[in-house]
Amino acid sequence: MRKRRRRYIYMTIPAIVLLLAFILLPLINAVNISFYRWNGYSQSRHWKGIENYTKLFRDKLFWRSLANTLIYGFGSTLIQNIGGLMAAIFLNKKFKGRNALRTILYMPIMISPFIMGQIMYYFVQYQGGVFNELLSMFHIKSIYWMKSGFSSTIMVTLINSWQYMGLCMIIYLAGLQNIPMMYREAARLDGAGKFAEFKHIVLPLLIPSITTAVVTNLIGGLKLYDVIVALSGGGPNRQSMSLSYYIQLLYFNDEKAGYASAIGIVTFFVIMVITLPINAWLRKREVEY
Amino acid sequence: MDKTKVQTKGTLFKETKWWYYLVAILLVVIYLLPIYVLINLSFRTIQDIGSKVRLPEIMNLGNYISVFKSSAVWRGFINTVILMVETVVLEILVSALGAYGLVRSSNRLSEMIRTLNMGIMMIPGVALLVGTYSLMVKFNMANTLWGLALLSAAGGIPATMFMYANFVSSIPVALDEAAMIDGAGVLRTFFQIIMPQLKAVTVTRIIMSATGSWNNYLMPMYLLQDKTKHTIILTIKEAFNTGNGVGDLPKACATCVVGLLPIIVLYLFLQRYIIEGQIDSSVK
Repeated sequence: MRKRRRRYIYMTIPAIVLLLAFILLPLINAVNISFYRWNGYSQSRHWKGIENYTKLFRDKLFWRSLANTLIYGFGSTLIQNIGGLMAAIFLNKKFKGRNALRTILYMPIMISPFIMGQIMYYFVQYQGGVFNELLSMFHIKSIYWMKSGFSSTIMVTLINSWQYMGLCMIIYLAGLQNIPMMYREAARLDGAGKFAEFKHIVLPLLIPSITTAVVTNLIGGLKLYDVIVALSGGGPNRQSMSLSYYIQLLYFNDEKAGYASAIGIVTFFVIMVITLPINAWLRKREVEY
Repeated sequence: MDKTKVQTKGTLFKETKWWYYLVAILLVVIYLLPIYVLINLSFRTIQDIGSKVRLPEIMNLGNYISVFKSSAVWRGFINTVILMVETVVLEILVSALGAYGLVRSSNRLSEMIRTLNMGIMMIPGVALLVGTYSLMVKFNMANTLWGLALLSAAGGIPATMFMYANFVSSIPVALDEAAMIDGAGVLRTFFQIIMPQLKAVTVTRIIMSATGSWNNYLMPMYLLQDKTKHTIILTIKEAFNTGNGVGDLPKACATCVVGLLPIIVLYLFLQRYIIEGQIDSSVK
């Protein structure tokens, strides 16, 4: 039996090798590169110690990208969760065609976010964009949707939330359907109104779904990249970049591989520092029933 | 008295209020408008893109004909399928094998995989971009589909292995022991006894991994710069690219429709599994 046990351990080797080679090694390599000044392809590079990390405190674009990343992350999470919960409550009602509606609301998730961004690009255009064309039907003047960095950031957040709302919706829908009807009936018998029933029965029992929906979307939003490339290209004037976008730009465009790598490591820590406490806080509030 | 009785009995659809349908229609419009605009544009000619909302005056099928004649589109599909199959097979096999090994040798490791999984989930693909990209170039994996498949599979392993581990722990060890007494080795037990028990997880993870691989943009974009290696997403991107000269928007839209069609059709047929799989893999 002991021999057999050892054979079981051998079965994990392929997985461990792949993880070491494609996750851990790149991570070590990225940390290593972040201490150098390097253009990304030449043979020579210069040791700079922690200079790349101290430099970013004075880098306005870094702070701007960090702020945008927080907007992308928290904005998307907020909109998707509120929208998704409302959609789930709505779809939990009985009416004809609700399965078809669920299918339609989840469909955008199947489409690559980059392609979705590419399609939505023709919506937010100033000249000939779909949004402005719809406005002109009501004789409303065209709006410059992507005028400033801030408005671009908001538009990207909205479009990203629109695309992924279906994910929250099905998580909440599954959560709602798992709540035993007797609790809700008991509350009603005790004379609770619809709002009280929702606040005291439904919401506490939904916390596990909330944890999942919030954490998944937060991580996704903080990593946002594809949609930004297609919709705003980080512009105007690099003012709507996320940290992910900034890293890619520094590496491939500005040829600052060391600095890009340093920001990559910082981004990882930013996501960790934000996500882990929220995850722990929500998990503490999950009730057993 | 009779009246009230009838009303309480017919609760199913009698209760439905008219505003349910109003909200439903509104949601359908909001969610299908982009698809409508895309399809609408794909039937237009390049001279006729004044309006993106109104239907074209003449239905132009030319865009689709030239898309189906285009070798780039077919090559994109073939490359995507190769990449997808390689990634899925590798990810599923390695994860299932690893999860089985982990659970049977000790049970405490699943919490560790869970932590590892969350950690890897939080690494933005781009954060390791420099680290990954420079290594892959060094080891001649740039412009190869298998290199990208290895990378994508590795990225999916923690989540897939975690799900498998959860399910393997619920399979009684007695089943293994019975197979062992019958003379089956560890691998044979795994493939003939354990894997069939894990069908549900396998279907879920195949779907997740396949759609992820189909839609992947960031790494293919940088790793597959050679046009003969382009995936369908990159082919669509190329079609929309107006960088060199005048772009052909209707043709690009037709390319996009054709490129998205397989995944949408797959979704419509397998939506039950896809949505349930999504719930299973996100909750828990």
